[in-house]
Amino acid sequence: MNDLDHEWLRRTRDLLEASTQALDAETLSRLNRARQAALASRRRRLAPMWGGFAVAGASAMALALAIGLQRPPPEPASTPASLESPAAISTGDDGDDDLLAADDLEFFEDLDFYQWLDSEGLAPAPSAPNPGRPL
Amino acid sequence: MSTGDLVESTEVDLDRFLRNVERRALRMAELGCGQRDAAFDLVQDAMLAFVRRYAERPPAEWAPLFHRVLDNRLTDWHRRQNVRGRWMFSFFHDDDDGDPLESVVDEAEPGPLGRLAGDQAGAVLDTALRALPLRQRQAFLLRVWEGLDVGATAIAMRCSEGSVKTHLSRALSRLRDRLGEFQ
Repeated sequence: MNDLDHEWLRRTRDLLEASTQALDAETLSRLNRARQAALASRRRRLAPMWGGFAVAGASAMALALAIGLQRPPPEPASTPASLESPAAISTGDDGDDDLLAADDLEFFEDLDFYQWLDSEGLAPAPSAPNPGRPL
Repeated sequence: MSTGDLVESTEVDLDRFLRNVERRALRMAELGCGQRDAAFDLVQDAMLAFVRRYAERPPAEWAPLFHRVLDNRLTDWHRRQNVRGRWMFSFFHDDDDGDPLESVVDEAEPGPLGRLAGDQAGAVLDTALRALPLRQRQAFLLRVWEGLDVGATAIAMRCSEGSVKTHLSRALSRLRDRLGEFQ
């Protein structure tokens, strides 16, 4: 069916549209205010939600900052404090700490001995020092 | 696009949608309740409820949802009028009841185009539309004027698509009868 395409129905639509164009200024103003009020109600409804997000974000940042301030400052790079406390190495967050394994620390502790061996010409092959088994 | 931009964009779309639909909504409500002030209150209330409940839905769904809200308010208004005893007869009038004289063809009848072409065409049309039962008028206005398809009209009127077709068919028949024998 296409009753809705009949000429008299098109004329009906035209008349109805014309009636909306004939609305007086006061009515149009009231409609405008009603629309603005509806949109404002949405803004009011969303505002507390966005405020809540902002407060939550600020709180999270403050908490992260507080935690960061409470941690001890990192040791200066020139101070090998970790050598005095090898156990602390594995608990550090710095990935570079993994470069210093416990066996290597023994090598540095016995460094004087290896220097003496070297000066006496008794050092082992340079490619494979074994600090755990001195000659 | 940030979330704030998205909210702003939705508000622009909402404003455009409401601006586009508000005049027709006012006229539909006015045809439904017969009073400009009451119609304005219904539209205002429908705008608030629509924005509160459906603003975050996809814009493609807005038209049937807005008219669903407006139709609901219009139906409530009629119910309240019924309680107060100031009820429009046509709302309760059985669709199958009819004035026997309506079926008599007037040979001098100018036809719907003729009736809708004169200076009083708007008033004639308003009278014919107001004489329709509420559901028939809503089906007619939503389908013919607002341009909703059958499915969207069913959503707006909270009924089946079959009911929409029935209401529309009866509305067209009644309007043809009131506006003149259509040829």
